[in-house]
Amino acid sequence: MRPSDAHEVSQLNELKIDVGALVVGAHYALTGQQVMVEQMPIFGGYAGGLESTTIVGVATTLNSFVMLQATWHLDGPVHVRWGITTAREALAVAGHISRAVEEHSDVILGNQYYTLAGPCTVMCLLETAAQAITDTISGREILSGVASAKGVSTDMFTAMEARMMGEAAYAVAGMDLHEVNVILDKLVATYEKDYKTAPVGKKFQECYDVTTLTPTEEHVKVYEEAVRILTDLGLTYWNK
Amino acid sequence: MKAIAKPVTVFDVYNRAKTGPKVEERDWDFKIIPQTAKELAEKYGIKMDKKTIVPEDPELIEKLWQAGLDMLVTCGVYCMDTGRVIKYTRDEVLTSIASAPDHFVFGEGKEAIQVVPRAYNSPKPPIIQGGPTGSPCSEAMFLPNHQAYAQEPIVDTIVDGVMQTVMGQDPTPGSPWELMAVHAEIDQVREAMTRAGRTGMGL
Repeated sequence: MRPSDAHEVSQLNELKIDVGALVVGAHYALTGQQVMVEQMPIFGGYAGGLESTTIVGVATTLNSFVMLQATWHLDGPVHVRWGITTAREALAVAGHISRAVEEHSDVILGNQYYTLAGPCTVMCLLETAAQAITDTISGREILSGVASAKGVSTDMFTAMEARMMGEAAYAVAGMDLHEVNVILDKLVATYEKDYKTAPVGKKFQECYDVTTLTPTEEHVKVYEEAVRILTDLGLTYWNK
Repeated sequence: MKAIAKPVTVFDVYNRAKTGPKVEERDWDFKIIPQTAKELAEKYGIKMDKKTIVPEDPELIEKLWQAGLDMLVTCGVYCMDTGRVIKYTRDEVLTSIASAPDHFVFGEGKEAIQVVPRAYNSPKPPIIQGGPTGSPCSEAMFLPNHQAYAQEPIVDTIVDGVMQTVMGQDPTPGSPWELMAVHAEIDQVREAMTRAGRTGMGL
């Protein structure tokens, strides 16, 4: 790793740490590394519901800069039932944390992505877009992902999800907050009813040509369908 | 004359982890955290509407900031190894936040990017860090999959996955093979960046 990379150390849920993390933090401090402190508050976990998880999330974010002298904080509010960051409640926690902290400081905030659906599915791309929109219009600086299919299955992720994360962010940057909130509400409603039947999706090697490193025709069509839905909801990025 | 406040260091934190108040971990998890958060939500009259995913009300944003700050100062942070609580003063927290970096350079050479604060209504898009974010990745697909991210023009930096085997061996945590796997991950992500014509991207 180079000094210009992000050196990771994690807090624990909720507002907890171990000595090992402090030792890692001491090494980073003594060697002058750029430090990325990660922590994912759990909606429905120890903290409880929406308001209390958000309050704990603000405290956790601040703690990254106090305890471990973070260069930036990587968030990732996660839903206890679904294990994803794209559920409505997880998005609301993330959006509220970011607005509260960004309004009062110039610290650098990121967020990480865990979708329920797997690659090469419209649902995965819409989940990704919803979080990218949330993060962008709440003032976050770094979007980091995507760990598709909850980030637990081997090779179940592709660069097409990252493309959507980027394009959705570019689509809403600078838009009116209320207008985007209305779109976001409708967007989340398109997939949140499907959690129990979320499509598993395909492995990288099943939806990419692994020699030319291009997505399959099917994968491109899935992407185009997600773009069509986002355009119908009011995003004009892909019309330009 | 009041002394100039200084940020807390990780060394101060370790000392406090050895001397702070003793607490049972189950009390921390099931009483102190949920009860304090609930009390602060009530104290500040915080009510969120999950249909408004990003808050538009400045008063709610202010209350969440105050409650979060109170939460950290009131509770502190629990050290699992010592069973003690690391406490900070309000001044220490605010000083640390004020002295935190407000920019940094991510990556090197022509692929280096400046990361700077952006407001919620900024037309400047955020940094796009593409990759599997710690997801498990087969050894065979590690390089091509990460190259696919590096060659996406909208991707600024890479966040890598976790190699499931290295030279066919299980990188058991704490074993020499774990170190081999970590080195292999870094080497292959760098190679993926180079093959995509983007040597120097941040990782």
